[in-house]
Amino acid sequence: MARRRRRVVAIAAAATAAAAVAIAVTAAAPSHGPVPRRTLPAPLAPAFTPGAPVGLGDTRFLSRWAPVRRPAIARQDPQPDAPAVARIATRTPEGTRNIALVVGRAQDAQRRAWVRVSLATLPNGSTGWIPRAAIGGYETVDTALDVDVERLRLTLRRSGHVIFRARVAVGAPATPTPRGRFYVRNRLTRYRSAMYGPVAFGTSARSPTLTDWPAGGFVGIHGTDRPDLVPGRVSHGCIRLRNADILLLARRMPVGTPIVVH
Amino acid sequence: MTDWQPTLGAIDRDGALTEALAEITGETRAGFLRGAVLGGAAMLGALARPPAASARLTDVGILNFGLRFERLQATFYTQADQMGTIKTMPARKQVWAETLGSHERAHVRIIKKVLGREAEPRPTFDFGAANETDENFTRTAVAMEDLTVALLGGVTPVVNDRRLTAALFGLLTVEARHAAWARHIVGASPSPKPFDTPRTLDSVAGAVRRTHFIAARPNVSASRHAPRYTG
Repeated sequence: MARRRRRVVAIAAAATAAAAVAIAVTAAAPSHGPVPRRTLPAPLAPAFTPGAPVGLGDTRFLSRWAPVRRPAIARQDPQPDAPAVARIATRTPEGTRNIALVVGRAQDAQRRAWVRVSLATLPNGSTGWIPRAAIGGYETVDTALDVDVERLRLTLRRSGHVIFRARVAVGAPATPTPRGRFYVRNRLTRYRSAMYGPVAFGTSARSPTLTDWPAGGFVGIHGTDRPDLVPGRVSHGCIRLRNADILLLARRMPVGTPIVVH
Repeated sequence: MTDWQPTLGAIDRDGALTEALAEITGETRAGFLRGAVLGGAAMLGALARPPAASARLTDVGILNFGLRFERLQATFYTQADQMGTIKTMPARKQVWAETLGSHERAHVRIIKKVLGREAEPRPTFDFGAANETDENFTRTAVAMEDLTVALLGGVTPVVNDRRLTAALFGLLTVEARHAAWARHIVGASPSPKPFDTPRTLDSVAGAVRRTHFIAARPNVSASRHAPRYTG
């Protein structure tokens, strides 16, 4: 018992002595002396840092189109057994990839995706439903073309702002330019036909009168070898611009641009 | 949080990712569907390739691949937002999807700026029905975010410029948060294992290529084709 008490006393004495030494050392240390600083290396500056998150932006003026990947039957409703309204080919009469302007979408009872597309058929302005799988990836445009057949004026807007205006010639009274909502289907250049000027755009609009025209009577937007007839009502339904104007339009208007003719 | 792991079969309804990964491993599609757990050994093992292919790449090449992949993701989210797919989701999923979209667009913007004239042109994307519905969108997003983490984990250490490495680490950690968030959204463990095995750029490129999400540009213009319009 006495032995154990002696050990406890010895430990307490040693602890007290150690504390006294520590206090003495601390008190003796200079208060303003140089303190060695040990710092970690600064992080390596990154080569770039992304800015703030980028919002979706204004989608009011966007239109969506997609290439037609496989022939499809457009139907009245988004159902495989709904009545057929048109057949959609993968190529245009000019040999370019056919495209579809997408104006709606839905799912059927089997949860398959369908898209509603603007049809390049008569009557003009028709729409129909095709399986989503019939078309490829979506592309968007923020341009819109307005053709005023009364005032013989064409206006191109981007995101709602006017970026181009030109005078036009439109269909003669016997072969009028159809009115309604259409879209630009393709763009042709370097062909040997002066009457179409240097650039021609194909549209989804079809002449209601020239139904037996080769390739279906599609209405184009193109230049001309008769600039003296612009503006005027002289064409077979096509929208003609002076060649300088069609070249300017071609630099601003992408394929897929929606068109309103009124 | 449940221990449920999203399998490729559950996530990849169109089969694009499954086909791609099954092709890499040489397994049958059915076999892959049975065994592949997203983020698990089977899927990530499928992405593994010898590192030699990455070692040949320049920093510009790596950044351009990063740009392509960021564009893929940004377009996927942006289209879903523009089409209205995201608007059909519950509020918390909308926040998730919109946030990821805004981040991916910011990534595209900065990488494009850094590359300047060296930036590759924007590819054409075809997601099919993958971003048309809430269900398809969510499942594909989970797979894409995991793939992005695997890609950045593989390429970040092999870039030559250390400051570029530092920048890619910044992207990697954010993409890892995206992946974890996406997994949380589908009820899977945000962090299923203690270590992520890095993958080579080549293997991720192969997986992406086989999804067919990057498509050929449609030929909508022609020269020397005579117009057949009414005139």
